[in-house]
Amino acid sequence: MKRLATFAALMAIVTATATACGGAAATDAGAEVDVYTTIDGTKQINASAPINPFNPVGSVFTGYNGMALAWARNHPTDPNRFYPALARSWTQSPDGAQVDIHLQPEARWSDGKPVTSEDVRVSIGLAYTQGGTAYALDPKAAGAAADVRVLDAKTIRVTQGANRSAAFLANLLSTVVVPAHVYGALLPRGFWDTLKVAQHDRGPAGERAKAVITGLADKVIAFSPEQDVSAGPFVLERVNPGAALLRRNPYFYNSRAIGPDKVKVLNYTGNEQIWNYLISGQLDNAPFTSVPAAVMERIRGARGSQVITGYSPVATSLAFNQSHKPYDNVHVRRALAYLIDREQVTRIAAPEGGTPAATTSGIHAKAARAWLGDGFAELEPYRLDPAKAAAELRAAGMKLRDGRWTMPDGSPWKVEIHVPASFSDWVSAAKSISSGLGDHGIDATVLTAADYSLYLSELAKGEYDLGFWLIGLGPSPYNIFQRLFGQANGWQMFGGRLTHVPPGTGGNWMGGPRTVEVAGEGLVDPGELTSRLNYVSPGEQRRIVGVLARIANEQLPAVQLWDYVNTQFVNTSRYTGFPPDDSEMLRLSSGVWMQLGMIRKRQP
Amino acid sequence: MTRATANRAGALARRVAGHVARGLVMIWLVATISFVIIREIPGDPVLAMYESMLQKGMSPDQAERATAVLYGFLPKGSLWEQYTGYMGSLLHFDLGRSLSTPGVEVTSLIGSAASWTVLPVLAGTLLSFLLGVTMGVYAAVRRSGRLGDLLALSGSLLHGVPVYVIGLLLTAIFATLWPILPSGGPVDVEFTPGLNAGYLGSLVRHAVLPVVTYTLASYGGWILAMKSNVVTVLGDDFILAAELRGLRRGIVFRYLARNAILPLFTILALSIGMLFGGSIFIEEIFNYPGLGLLLVNSISSRDYALMGGTFLVITIGIVVANIVADLLYSVIDPRVRSGGTA
Repeated sequence: MKRLATFAALMAIVTATATACGGAAATDAGAEVDVYTTIDGTKQINASAPINPFNPVGSVFTGYNGMALAWARNHPTDPNRFYPALARSWTQSPDGAQVDIHLQPEARWSDGKPVTSEDVRVSIGLAYTQGGTAYALDPKAAGAAADVRVLDAKTIRVTQGANRSAAFLANLLSTVVVPAHVYGALLPRGFWDTLKVAQHDRGPAGERAKAVITGLADKVIAFSPEQDVSAGPFVLERVNPGAALLRRNPYFYNSRAIGPDKVKVLNYTGNEQIWNYLISGQLDNAPFTSVPAAVMERIRGARGSQVITGYSPVATSLAFNQSHKPYDNVHVRRALAYLIDREQVTRIAAPEGGTPAATTSGIHAKAARAWLGDGFAELEPYRLDPAKAAAELRAAGMKLRDGRWTMPDGSPWKVEIHVPASFSDWVSAAKSISSGLGDHGIDATVLTAADYSLYLSELAKGEYDLGFWLIGLGPSPYNIFQRLFGQANGWQMFGGRLTHVPPGTGGNWMGGPRTVEVAGEGLVDPGELTSRLNYVSPGEQRRIVGVLARIANEQLPAVQLWDYVNTQFVNTSRYTGFPPDDSEMLRLSSGVWMQLGMIRKRQP
Repeated sequence: MTRATANRAGALARRVAGHVARGLVMIWLVATISFVIIREIPGDPVLAMYESMLQKGMSPDQAERATAVLYGFLPKGSLWEQYTGYMGSLLHFDLGRSLSTPGVEVTSLIGSAASWTVLPVLAGTLLSFLLGVTMGVYAAVRRSGRLGDLLALSGSLLHGVPVYVIGLLLTAIFATLWPILPSGGPVDVEFTPGLNAGYLGSLVRHAVLPVVTYTLASYGGWILAMKSNVVTVLGDDFILAAELRGLRRGIVFRYLARNAILPLFTILALSIGMLFGGSIFIEEIFNYPGLGLLLVNSISSRDYALMGGTFLVITIGIVVANIVADLLYSVIDPRVRSGGTA
C-alpha cells in the first residue's frame, strides 16, 4: 500500500510537471505576440537543405527571405499582372521584345549592401544554369532571354530572342534575385561569353558551351551560404526540422509596412497536422489546405479563426485514355459525362475547396467566363441526364443486356477509374462516380495506386483507361490548354518545333486524335493551336481559347469535375488586416501581404 | 596470462571474427538486393515533384523552374553500371547524393535523422522494457490478485492497440483539446541550440508525446512476455530450494528475474538494433525528423540514393545488434558460454 502511495505521488509530480510545462508554454506564447506563425504551402521544411532559393527545398521562404522582381497577381486571364517587389516598375517595348526593369531605389540586402542591377544580372546568369522558361539555352526556345544589359545601378534591360513568347514578361518578373556578393563566385570567368556561344552557335562549340553552363547546375543547387543574406522583409535566423524562424530585416525597403518582429514557419508531415495547428489556434495564416467538412467546423470554432476564399485557377478532371476502347469513341465519353453528378461528387469530395464545374471547357469557370463571354453559356453543360447518356451509348454501338451496358460485341464493359491512394478527395470522388455509374447500368470500379509517383508513372505509360488529372492551370492560356493538348496528349515542343508522338510513347497517355473537325473552323490541330497561344496577339489568343474550349467541350478528352476554390485560413486573435475574399493577393504568401502593407498587430 | 585465459581470449576473437564476417556478407547481400529492388520501383521522381508542386498551387512555369535541374540527379547507365558504381562508392563510405534534398550528401541526411531517432525510440524502448519487465514480475507474483489481473489486462489491451491510434489519441488530448504539449517537431525553433535550460526543456517537452506513445505501444509486449517467463521460472526447483533455504526475498527475486529475463534480453538487443529503422508512425504523427520518416519520404519521392542508404543503415544496425546480443548472451548466461553443460 505504501508503494502504491509512492507511485501515486510520483504520477502526481509528473502530471504537475507536465502542466507546469504547459503553463510555461502558454507564458512563452504570451511573450511571442510579435511572432507571426504560418506554414509554407509549397514545400515542407528541410533543415538539411541550404539557404539557397535555387534548391527546390532550400530554407528560403518566398515573400519572407526569398525575393523576386515582382509578385504575380491572381488574375483570371492576364498572366502579366504583377505587384512590385524588388522591381519598383518595368516597361515593355510595344512588340514585347524588350523589358526595362527599374529597381527599388531603397532596396538593400540584410547586410546593408544595396540591391543593384548587377545582383539581377548574376541572378539571371544563375537561372540559366537551371534552365527552363525565360532561361532556356536552346536558341529556338520560345521566350528565352537573349541579352541582359545593365543600364545603370538600378536599371537593367532584358531582351528576348527571336522566337518570342507572351509569357516572357511574366517569367522574367518571377526571377528570384540573390546577392551578387554571395552568389557571384558561382559563375566562372567568361560565363557571359560562354552563354552567348551556347545561345547562338548551332555547332559543336555551342553544344560544349551548353554543357559548361548546365554543368554548373549541381554546384549552384548545392551552394550553401553560411548565413542568410536577404533583401526581403525577413532574414532567416534559425531552422530546425520542426520550424524555421525568421527575424525582421531592418534594411528592407518598405520596413515600416512590416508588422511582426519575427515569423515562425511550422513544418508538417501531412494535412492532419495543419488541421491540428488550426484547431488549436496556433497559425495566423495557413494557405490552401484540403479540409473535410467536419474538420472545417472545428477550425471555424477556434477563437479568431476566419476563412477567406478566392479564385484558384485549377480544376480537377476525369481524363480518358482515348487509345483504349471504348473511350476512343466520343459518344462513350459524352455518355459518361451525362452520368456524372458533379454536384454530388463535389459535395462528397471537395465540399470546402471546390465548386462543381459548370461544364467542361478546360478552363476554371471564372476564367472561362472572362475569356469566352457569352460563348461560355453556349457550351453543352452535360447536366445529369440518363436518357441522353443512353442515346450516346447506343450511338457508340454499346449494348444494354439485362440492365447492364456491354461493349458493341457483347463482351462485358467495366469502367476502371484510377486514383492515387493518398489523395483522399480524388478517392472519394472516384467512389462517388463509380457508384453513380453502377446505378445506371455501367459496371465501374476504383483502383488506387500506392502513391502519386507510381500513379503518374503508370498514367504516363498509358496503363489506365481513366484517371484523375489537374487541368485549367491558369492564368496563362498556354498553360491552361497544354494540360489537355500538350505532352500528355502527344504534342511535344522540341528544339522550337512542335511534334506529335503516337499514343503510349513520349508520355502520350491521353491518346487523342491529332486533328479534329470543328464547326466553322474545319480541321483543327488543337496542340498546334495551344502552342500558338504562346506568341499571338491578345485578340488572337481570345479567338483560339474560344476554339479550344469548344473542342474540349465537344471532344471531351476529360470531364471537368470541380473548379478549385482558394480557401485560406487566418486567425485574427493576434493580427488583423488580412486580404479580403477574392483578393488578387490570395495565392501569395503572408510575407508578400506584409510587403504590400497588410497585416497589423491587433491593438488591445 | 594463463594458457586457459589465452585460449578463452583466442576463442572469443575467433567467434567475433566469425560473426563479423557473416555480418559483412549479410550486409553485402541486403545492399545488393535492396539496390535492385529500389531501382525497379516504378515511378518518375521528377514528374511526381512537378505535379505535386502544381497540386500545391505553383504555376506550371514555377514548377518547371524548380524541377528542370533535377533530371541531372537521376541515376544514369545500365543497372550493372549503377550497381558497380554504388558498391565502389560504398567501399569509400559514400552513399551518394540525395534527389529529394538536392545537392546534399545522403550520409549527412542520415546522420541528422539518426540523432533525432535515438532520443524517442531509445528512450521509449528502454522505458517500456523497464516498465514492462518490472510490472511483468509483479503481475506474475501477484497473478491471483486483483492488481496482477489489472496489470496483465493493461498489457493485453495496449498490446492490441495500434501505435498510430495511441499516437493520434495522445495528440488529440494533449496537443489539441488540452494543449499542454506540442503536437509536432523536435524542439521549439525559438530557443538557441545548446546546453541551456530553455532549449533542453523544449527538447524534453517535444519528446514527451513520442516517447510516451512508443512506451505505451511496446509496454504490453514486454509485460506479457515477462509475466509468462516468470510464471514458468516460479515453478522451477531452484526457486523452491531458495525459498526453502530461507534466502532473502530480494535474492530470490534476483534469481527469478535473471532467469526469466534471458529470452527478453535478445529481443531487447534486437529492438535497439531496430531503432535505426526509427518508428515510422510515431515520427509521422509527431513530425519527428527521424530515420523512419526519412525512409518514408525517400520512398514517396523515389530518392534512390537515400532509400538505399537508409536501408543499409537499418541493416547494419540489426546485424550489429545481433552480434552484440549473441556475444552478450554468453556473458549473462553461463550455459551458453560452456556449450550448455553448466
